[in-house]
Amino acid sequence: MTASVASGPPVLSVQKLRVRAGKRILLDDVDLEFERTSLTAVIGPSGCGKTTFVRSLNRMTEMTPGLKVTGRVDYLGQNIYDPAVDPVLVRRRIGMVFQRPTVFPMSVFENAAFGLRLIREEENEIDRAVTEALQRAGLWDEVKDDLNRSALGLSGGQQQRLCIARALAVQPKVLLMDEPCSALDPAATQRVEATMDRLKQEIVIVLVTHNVGQAARVSDRVAFLHSGRLVEVGVTADILERPREKLTEQFITGRFG
Amino acid sequence: MVTATEGSYVPPPPGAELLRATSLSLRWRVSFDRAIGYLLPLLYLVALLPIAWIVYWVSVHALVTLNWSALTDTSPLDTHSLAVPIISTFYVMLLATVIAVVFGLFGGIATAEFLSERVAGWVRTSANLLAGTPSVVVGYFGYFAFVLYFGWGLNVISGSFTLAFFMLPYLFRTVDLAYTSVPRSIREAAYGQGSRPFQYLLRIATPIAFPQVLNGVFLAMAIGVGETAPLWLTLEQSALVPTGLFQPASFLTGQIFEDYTSGPGTPGIALAFEAAFILLVVVISLNIIVRIISARFRKRVEGLFQ
Amino acid sequence: MADAPTGTDSSPDRQPLPPTLSPATEPREPRAPAGRRAKKHLSTAVALVAALVPTAVVIGVVVSLVSASDFHNLGWAFFGSKWNSNTQTYGVAIFVVGSFLTAIPALVLSMLIGLGIAIASTSYLPRWITRIIDPCVDFLAGIPSIIYGLWGYLLLAPIFGTLISPWVVNHLGFIPGFSAPSYVYVGGVGLPLSIVVLTLMSLPITTLLIRDALRSVPRDLVESGLALGATRWETVRRISMRHGSRGIWSAAFLGFGRAFGETVAVAMVLGAATAYPTTVFSQTDTMAAFMFDNLDGALATPGELQALAELAILLLAITLVVNVVGRRFVSALYTQEVAGL
Repeated sequence: MTASVASGPPVLSVQKLRVRAGKRILLDDVDLEFERTSLTAVIGPSGCGKTTFVRSLNRMTEMTPGLKVTGRVDYLGQNIYDPAVDPVLVRRRIGMVFQRPTVFPMSVFENAAFGLRLIREEENEIDRAVTEALQRAGLWDEVKDDLNRSALGLSGGQQQRLCIARALAVQPKVLLMDEPCSALDPAATQRVEATMDRLKQEIVIVLVTHNVGQAARVSDRVAFLHSGRLVEVGVTADILERPREKLTEQFITGRFG
Repeated sequence: MVTATEGSYVPPPPGAELLRATSLSLRWRVSFDRAIGYLLPLLYLVALLPIAWIVYWVSVHALVTLNWSALTDTSPLDTHSLAVPIISTFYVMLLATVIAVVFGLFGGIATAEFLSERVAGWVRTSANLLAGTPSVVVGYFGYFAFVLYFGWGLNVISGSFTLAFFMLPYLFRTVDLAYTSVPRSIREAAYGQGSRPFQYLLRIATPIAFPQVLNGVFLAMAIGVGETAPLWLTLEQSALVPTGLFQPASFLTGQIFEDYTSGPGTPGIALAFEAAFILLVVVISLNIIVRIISARFRKRVEGLFQ
Repeated sequence: MADAPTGTDSSPDRQPLPPTLSPATEPREPRAPAGRRAKKHLSTAVALVAALVPTAVVIGVVVSLVSASDFHNLGWAFFGSKWNSNTQTYGVAIFVVGSFLTAIPALVLSMLIGLGIAIASTSYLPRWITRIIDPCVDFLAGIPSIIYGLWGYLLLAPIFGTLISPWVVNHLGFIPGFSAPSYVYVGGVGLPLSIVVLTLMSLPITTLLIRDALRSVPRDLVESGLALGATRWETVRRISMRHGSRGIWSAAFLGFGRAFGETVAVAMVLGAATAYPTTVFSQTDTMAAFMFDNLDGALATPGELQALAELAILLLAITLVVNVVGRRFVSALYTQEVAGL
């Protein structure tokens, strides 16, 4: 699609992705590529398949019984749905942050270290990686004095940034975020958006959001989904100001949604 | 100039790292998880096999000797008949259930509707304590309180009251739960329209809570009919059907306990098996009824508990 | 005359008109007629009395036992190990030991098995399967304890006596306590059988409570773990069990309470020997079983009845403590299923 300057395959390449639940088609032949570090916002009315879309990018669709996925999702050239690929590995490289802050009932440090402990990383390395992840997530200054306090005592915004740090600690190249700010107040949302703004220069972020304003603020690119179909995708400014498709325009101007 | 054409080697994409189980540790984790997935469900057998075995074993032995006369012959000299224990058990259970329902129903409703949170908490705690009391202790209580102190003696009334107090906490908790789980919105709507507690209870809450209460009654009955100690210690066995409250009576579980050491082939052991079989039938039937009521109830109030 | 709103109208068949409403006053709510008020007070009183019945019963239990015993027997002898009605010594140590010796292993086993089943149910098996087999496991709780006793005494005991115990003696006899002459174990009744039966009886409680605790872990919490690259087992062990730890503790306490207080089944399969167990196979007695077996006999002997009542107090006290602590931990204090435990 694009003449890439960087060598090598795109970080993420979605080809003819189709997800069905029985007879219902949740995603219909979606093609999308994510080449460089960037933030792509996925917007659309409720039920359009945005959540199904991101969940199919790290094989979380397998958690819901009855979902059938066809098509390819290539991570750096390798189809993640290849039977020889282990989903456990996929999820280290393609991380996910959920709608509600889902901190584990442990200390801040243990939360961030969770993924590293799974792969039996050494202690020094864990310390270093946790510090780095908390810094990248923009949470370090607020927790550095007491990393052993329970994560449940943090505010909502802090918890969500901890979830981001937790995902970052295992060095993913892609971060999927499913409406991460919908449970947060405006101040916390701002902090998280600041984090996203910084991170998009380091990794690929796919952000599902129902908030067009948020998409305008942080994203480089916007993809509009409707009824499981990718209607339009393009540079943020283009999509939001001069949408080509009628559906897109209607959604953005609030005629439905 | 070298062109990469013949049988050229195409290096794998960087994403191929996903293919390799990169470390032994990962392979081990995944294999372990898979193994657990096969082994843990096998533990279900530890629970399910005994049930099947017990039911099968009891039924097989009972059905060998069970016949119509064994169930109906009430003459006191007959050592082969279960009729007397069955009928007596029925009477005792009936009385015990009535007592338990009276106290449990009113008590549960009162706790759910009228008491302050503090008092309700205490009452619920005592109900829980009572539920956790060993059956033999309840039997001792019944003995000292009803048989000795009230002077009733070892008969139907002592036994029924003792059994009733053993069944009480289960009924109480179920009723309490049934009434407290009436959705708040409905409650507030009713009181907001000006209805008085009694009307609210009668017209609105009870129809909603009724299936759960009924379930509670059946569950309590299932528990009560299977108990031995509360009755064994307060009720004297008899070869006759009781004709009054102050008479002795035999009961199914007592029959089993009396006869279980009889050798094989004796009429005693046959009675024990038959009694056990009847007990199982009753308990299973009650459980099935409870499930049916629960299913109907769930369908009926699906819209209610949004 | 018709609209004079004063009370001066003295016509006998004219009711005094109510005072005119002025902006400063609101209409007073008419007082309920006396009959209805009395009814309300009465029904509140009845309700209060009915509600207090469980409390009254608990108090009644304690009072009856205390007055029956008169603390007749309390003293060092109470904690001795000889119970002899002839010599009027009533020491309960053997029974206390016996109760713990049967209940604790049963608890450990039922917790392990219950954990396994609950984990399989919540994390590994599909819903349509668990919807069927979980209620079947719960049915273990519905089997009357006397039937467990019957089955244990008539069917399992011979198996233990002729198959299992000889095998253990032959293969593990070198371990101290695991060897005994055949007359000790050939009957089959004794500690091992009791522990097995008690395990089965506690199993539905532990399984239900642990299953409840694990099921109450929010879905996205589990998915967060999986999204970080954890296997199902790792999410269960590191996340779900931590989140549901309260429920798991409650399962332990309530399961223990069940095993500790079990009366009839133990009376039938433990052998009712008033002696400390010397081997793994020995017969012994528990508090509940002993109380159950000996009330009849105690009526003839003065003093023994009081001693039994004191034993009852001790049993009650231990069970109450265990239950109070256990209930504290229950997360869903009141669910329909837990109400039946």
